[in-house]
Amino acid sequence: MRTITIKLPEHRGVPVEAERISPDVLAGLSIREISEIEVWQGNRRLHLSDIFLVSGDPDPDTPENTRIVIEGDLSKVKRLGEGMSTGVVEIIGDAGMHAGNSMRGGILRIKGNADDWLGREMRGGRIEVEGNAGNYVGAGYRGERCGMRGGEIIIKGNAGAFLGEHLCGGTIEVMGDAGDFPGCANQGGIIRIHGHAHLPGAEMVKGSITAGSARVLPSFVHEGTVELGGSTYKKYVGDLVENGKGELYIASGQIGK
Amino acid sequence: MIIKGGIVYDPANGIFGEEMDICIESGRIAEDARGEVIDASGLLVMPGGVDAHSHIAGPKLNTGRIMRPDDSRIGTEPRTRVCRPSTGYTVPNCYAIGYRYARLGYTTAFEAATPIIEARHTHEELEEIPIVDKGALTLFGSNWTVMECVRDNDLGRLAAYVAWGLRAARGYGVKIVNPGGGEAWGFGSNVKSVHDPVPHFDVTPAQIIRALAEVNERLRLPHSIHLHFNNLGRPGNYTTAIETLELLKDIKPSRMRQVVHVAHMQFSAYGGTTWKDFESKASAIADYFNQTNHATMDLGQIIFGPATTMTADAPLEYANARIGHQKWSNHDIELEESSGVVPWVYMRKMPVNAVQWAIGLELALLTRDPWKVVMTTDHPNGGPFVNYPEIISLLMSREKREEEMKTLHEMVRSRSTLPSIEREMDWSEIVIMTRAAPARILGLEDKGHLGIGADADVSIYDIKPEEIDPSKDHAKVKAGLSRAKYTIKGGVVVVRDGEIVAAPQGRTYWVDAAVPESDMDRMLSSLKEKFERYYSIRMSNYMVQDAYISNPFVVRAGVQPLKEVI
Repeated sequence: MRTITIKLPEHRGVPVEAERISPDVLAGLSIREISEIEVWQGNRRLHLSDIFLVSGDPDPDTPENTRIVIEGDLSKVKRLGEGMSTGVVEIIGDAGMHAGNSMRGGILRIKGNADDWLGREMRGGRIEVEGNAGNYVGAGYRGERCGMRGGEIIIKGNAGAFLGEHLCGGTIEVMGDAGDFPGCANQGGIIRIHGHAHLPGAEMVKGSITAGSARVLPSFVHEGTVELGGSTYKKYVGDLVENGKGELYIASGQIGK
Repeated sequence: MIIKGGIVYDPANGIFGEEMDICIESGRIAEDARGEVIDASGLLVMPGGVDAHSHIAGPKLNTGRIMRPDDSRIGTEPRTRVCRPSTGYTVPNCYAIGYRYARLGYTTAFEAATPIIEARHTHEELEEIPIVDKGALTLFGSNWTVMECVRDNDLGRLAAYVAWGLRAARGYGVKIVNPGGGEAWGFGSNVKSVHDPVPHFDVTPAQIIRALAEVNERLRLPHSIHLHFNNLGRPGNYTTAIETLELLKDIKPSRMRQVVHVAHMQFSAYGGTTWKDFESKASAIADYFNQTNHATMDLGQIIFGPATTMTADAPLEYANARIGHQKWSNHDIELEESSGVVPWVYMRKMPVNAVQWAIGLELALLTRDPWKVVMTTDHPNGGPFVNYPEIISLLMSREKREEEMKTLHEMVRSRSTLPSIEREMDWSEIVIMTRAAPARILGLEDKGHLGIGADADVSIYDIKPEEIDPSKDHAKVKAGLSRAKYTIKGGVVVVRDGEIVAAPQGRTYWVDAAVPESDMDRMLSSLKEKFERYYSIRMSNYMVQDAYISNPFVVRAGVQPLKEVI
C-alpha cells in the first residue's frame, strides 16, 4: 500500500480549502505532482507545497491501495477527504469543517476532533472520529432535503447540534452525548446515541434513533418496551406532526414530556 | 460586419432556409457593410431569440434564491476574463441569466410580472442582467384602483391609472394574474370562476379582464393584455380558459396583433375533476385557437427535474405547498397583489407530471399556426429556460417523443393525444415560435427578424440544416442549439463557439402612454388619498426614477387622437 504523508508545519490564520487531498486524486500522481496541486487559502490560489510538506512512497498506485496521512493542527483546513470513494485518509490531529463531505467510499479516520458538517451528504464509506464532532454531522447542507444517504459515521466523543439532520440512510453512532435535535427530519437513517440526546427526532418521518437517555418531544407516542441487544428500551413512534413512522428507543434516565 | 454563406431562416420576411449573406452596420441589419467577416457557410442562421414570458428579475426571484440555497450549488461557473461568476439552476444569479440566454442564441427576454411597488427592485436586477434586451410587464389584475375604476365603469380613469402605473413601474405592458384572486386571498379565499365576485369590491374577474383589455387597446399599447387565467393549475380548468377567451372575442385590436396573450397555457389546459381523473384537454384548447384569431399563447412546457414555482397567484402557491409538502413563501403586496414561491420537482414516474409534459407539446403541435404559440417554460415555473433546446428537439422529432414517453408514467399514453401526433416541426416553424412570433406578440418591431433596419441580433448554430435531419438527429439538434456558434447582439459578437466573449449592457424597454389630462387629474386625486390612508410608503417615493435604468428604450403610446382632447 502506498502511503503519502502531508504535514502542516505551522498553523495559519486564514482557512485552507483542501478538497483535492483524497486518494482518488493523489493515488496516480508523483510526489512532485502532488506538491503542485492547487489549494485555496482565502482568495489566494496556492500549491499544496506552499503550505504543507509532502513526502511518502514515490510510486503511483491505485486509489484503493493508497493511504494518506495528514498531520498537524488541521482545524482550519476544510474539506479533507471530500468526495473520496476508496482508500484511507488518516488525520493526526483536529480536522476542519466539511471533512469527508459527499464521501462515497473508503475510510476517513480523525484522531482528534472534527468540526461542523462532518460527512455531510455522505453516500458511502466510513468515518471514525476519536474525539468530538461539531454540529450538523451527516446533515444536508443549507436548503437540501437529503443529508447522508449511506455509509457510517462513528464518533467516540460527543456530537453537536442537528446530528444527522435530513438523514436519508446510513448509520451514525455517537458514544457520548448529542446536542439539540439529533435526527431531526430523519427520512430513513439510523442513529445510535449512547449518552444523552435532547429532543431527538423532531419532524422525523422514518428511520430509527436510539439514545441512552433523552428528553422526548410531546409529539411522540409511547408504545411499550422492547429488548434490544440485551437491554430494555422504551419505544416511541413519531413525529406525529409529520404523521411520522420513525422509531425512537430510550434506554433509561430522564424522559420528559 | 458580414455573415457569409449561412442558411438563413427569417420567416417574418419570407425567407425559409436560403443561403445568403447578412450585413450589419451600426448595430442594425443593413444592405451592405464592411469590416469583420464571419464565415457561416452552410450553418443555421436566424434572428436572435426572444423570450416573451420568463421570470428573470424582481423580488420573487430573490425570494426564490433565499429559499433555495441548495439551488445555488448547481450550475456554478467560475469567473472568467469577461464573465462574473454564475450560480444556480432554477433561480440563477442575475449574471448567469444573461450569459445563459446569450449562449442559447437569445438576445431578448421579458420579465412577466412585477407589482408596481416592487418595480424598483425589478429594475435593479434587470440592470445586472448582461447582454440581453429586456423589459418587465406590470401587474394590474388585483389592484384596488383598477377594481374601483371597473366597479365605477370609468374606463377613462382606468386608462389613466394604467398609463400612470406603467410609468411608475417603467413597465412594458399589462399583466393580469388570477384577477381578483390575489385580493380574495387576503381573506383566505379565491375566486373560483370568472363570474365570482371579488370580496368587498363588487366586481368579477370577467369585468376586470374585459375592462383592462379595452383600456389596453384604447392606450394602443404595443403588447396586448398578458393573462394568467383564473383557476390555473387545477383539474378541469380548460373550461375557465375558453370561457375567459370568449369574453374578449369582440374587442378590436388597435395594432397588428392579438387582443390577449395567454401565459403558460399548459397550466390551464386540464380536464378531469380531481388529480385522480386528471387528463389533457390540449386538443380542445388548440381547436379553439385554430378557430379564432384574437389570442396567442405561450406554452409553459414542463421539464423533468427541479423547478421553482413563483407567481402572483398566491392561492395557487398555497395549494402547491400543501400538495408537495414543500417550503412556501407568501407575500401580500399592499393594495396591488399577493404572490408566492414554492420549490418543485417534476417527476417522470408521476402520472400528473407525465401528462403535464405531454400537454405542452400537444398545444404546440395541435395548434396549426406557429404564430399563435410561442415556446416557453414559464421559467422557472415549468423548468429553467436553459432547457429550450430540449423542447425544440422534441417538437422536431417524433422519434424523440416516442423515446421519452417510454421513460414516463404510462398515463401519458391514456390521458393525452401526444402518442398519436405525427407532426414534426421544421426550422421555419421553430424560428417563428422562438423569434418572429414572440417579437410580434410583444410589439417589438425591430426584433425577431432580419429585415433591413432591424436590430442586428443574430444567432448562428453549428447545425447544417441541409445535411441534418432533425427528426432523426435530434441529439445533434439539441447539442447545437445549446451552445450557439455565434450570438450577435446589436452588431456585437457576444458568443463565439459557445463561450461568452463580450458582455455589453442591453436595453430596457418601457412604455410611456399619454392620456387626456382631465382623466389623469381625476385618477390622481383619488390615488393620493389611497397612498395617505393605506400605503406604507409615500407616493413621492414610489416612482422608478430614470437613474434606475441606464440604457432605456422608451416606446410611446397613448389615447388617440390626443390633439382633440388636449
